Amino acid sequence: MAKSKTIKVDYLARVEGEGALYIRYDDGGVHDVKLKIFEPPRFFEGFMRGRDYLEAPDITARICGICPVAYQMSALHAMEDALGLVPTPELSALRRLIYCGEWIESHTLHIYMLHAPDFLGYPSAVAMAKDHPKIVQVGLQIKKAGNAIVKLLGGREIHPINVRVGGFYRVPAASELKPLREQLLQARDMAAETVRWAASLPFPKFERSAEDQYEFVALSHSQEYPMNKGRIASTRGLDIPVSEYDSHFREEHVEYTNALHSVLVERGAYFVGPMARYNLNYDRLSPLVRQTAEDIGFPPFCANPFQSIVVRSLEVLYAFDEALRIIDGYQQPQEPYLNTEPRASTGCAATEAPRGLLYHRYSIDERGKITDAKIVPPTSQNQKTIEDDLRHMLPKFLHLPEDKLQAQCEQAIRNYDPCISCSTHFLQLHLERSGRVGQ
Amino acid sequence: MHEQSLIKNLVEKIHLLASSESDRLVAARLRLGALAHISAEHLREHFEREIIGTPLEGLRLQIEEQSDIHHAEAQEIILDSLEFEDSHGD
Ligand SMILES: [Zn+2]
Repeated sequence: MAKSKTIKVDYLARVEGEGALYIRYDDGGVHDVKLKIFEPPRFFEGFMRGRDYLEAPDITARICGICPVAYQMSALHAMEDALGLVPTPELSALRRLIYCGEWIESHTLHIYMLHAPDFLGYPSAVAMAKDHPKIVQVGLQIKKAGNAIVKLLGGREIHPINVRVGGFYRVPAASELKPLREQLLQARDMAAETVRWAASLPFPKFERSAEDQYEFVALSHSQEYPMNKGRIASTRGLDIPVSEYDSHFREEHVEYTNALHSVLVERGAYFVGPMARYNLNYDRLSPLVRQTAEDIGFPPFCANPFQSIVVRSLEVLYAFDEALRIIDGYQQPQEPYLNTEPRASTGCAATEAPRGLLYHRYSIDERGKITDAKIVPPTSQNQKTIEDDLRHMLPKFLHLPEDKLQAQCEQAIRNYDPCISCSTHFLQLHLERSGRVGQ
Repeated sequence: MHEQSLIKNLVEKIHLLASSESDRLVAARLRLGALAHISAEHLREHFEREIIGTPLEGLRLQIEEQSDIHHAEAQEIILDSLEFEDSHGD
């Protein structure tokens, strides 16, 4: 018999090189702020070429473990746009339901595990859990309810495999959705509590002046709080169908990062994510959510990025409310999916990932092979705005010791829930102090 | 995206440790913290994809999920130990 031996390792897995922040400053102020983000969607775009159109949702779902549903939804809708397919209302409702699950999972993770420690002055969720175990437990329970939705519809919690172009491989019977109801009702109460708790956090005062205000960009739809459909709208009057995305938004190569910077043509930086959705679509939130916002005195328009944690918690509450509404009105679709026939065409779609607008565009040939793919994730769309925020904030923080300065920068970046925030200490900070002014 | 980097790092570490041993690596044991941002299922899937076509393919992966949110390593993924089999054994 073979002898075996075990060696003890105890090695901590590390996230490497995903985020770096360069700040160049001197006595005269901050001269340069560069945020470097490691971003694999570029790689996926190349990887998609030659693959079958039906594979796109499953391949792109692997780009991020926190928002796989968003990647799937944008890919599905883009392919359906190419094929001229319109999902039935029953199928759309199910897609909305699984999206609710993902918003809950992703937002809750961000609120409780990543952002809350910043506000309460802890270096990590673990440190926070020592003094506030209940908060962390509540977060885990709310997230579990989100997982349950994704698991039921997606076939499993992460990287769901059950969605496909045209619909789902399998759709649940109404009786399968019922057991979820109790869990969601309870979690909805916890989500309402979360809103009140989030609103009580100490927020840094940070508002831009009116001339310097962000341009918020999100989907907008006459009937729905946006998830899977709508026009692309902004707080400065942009109102276009998604098919015109490429002529209004441009990606620029920036030499210091793998990520492309997105800009609004002729206007520059813009801001996607929960705050953009909220500011543009407040009226479409459910009565419960609007009432809750009113109860805590939270306005229908919010432009302090540090308060995005409150907006996220309102969106979690909304996602529970919406999930319950969909479950209560559920009609099992007649067919789990609509049949698809490939044809040479191009299609695009944008959906609302938890962290903001996610745009996909594909071209396929007559055999259904992908010939071109473009994916613009929310983090790269916000990158310029994040840098602008830091430029505004830094003069106030530069006197701080480096660890405090780093914590402030990280918190400001975490307002945007970039994917890199998944690691608690993601940021390498490079401070470059140049000579005195005039030298 | 982060999980790709995380798992790459883990796999590299295993490669490194295995290459300095003459015996054959058969299993790796991981500890997954209660507050880690990844589920065991998700971790396993990424890991298995990462080792396809490498000498590590076929490695048995044991993941111990921890439940203590107060543990100092509650947010971490730890490579706990590696199990080797004497390659000359019969
Ligand atoms: Zn991520």
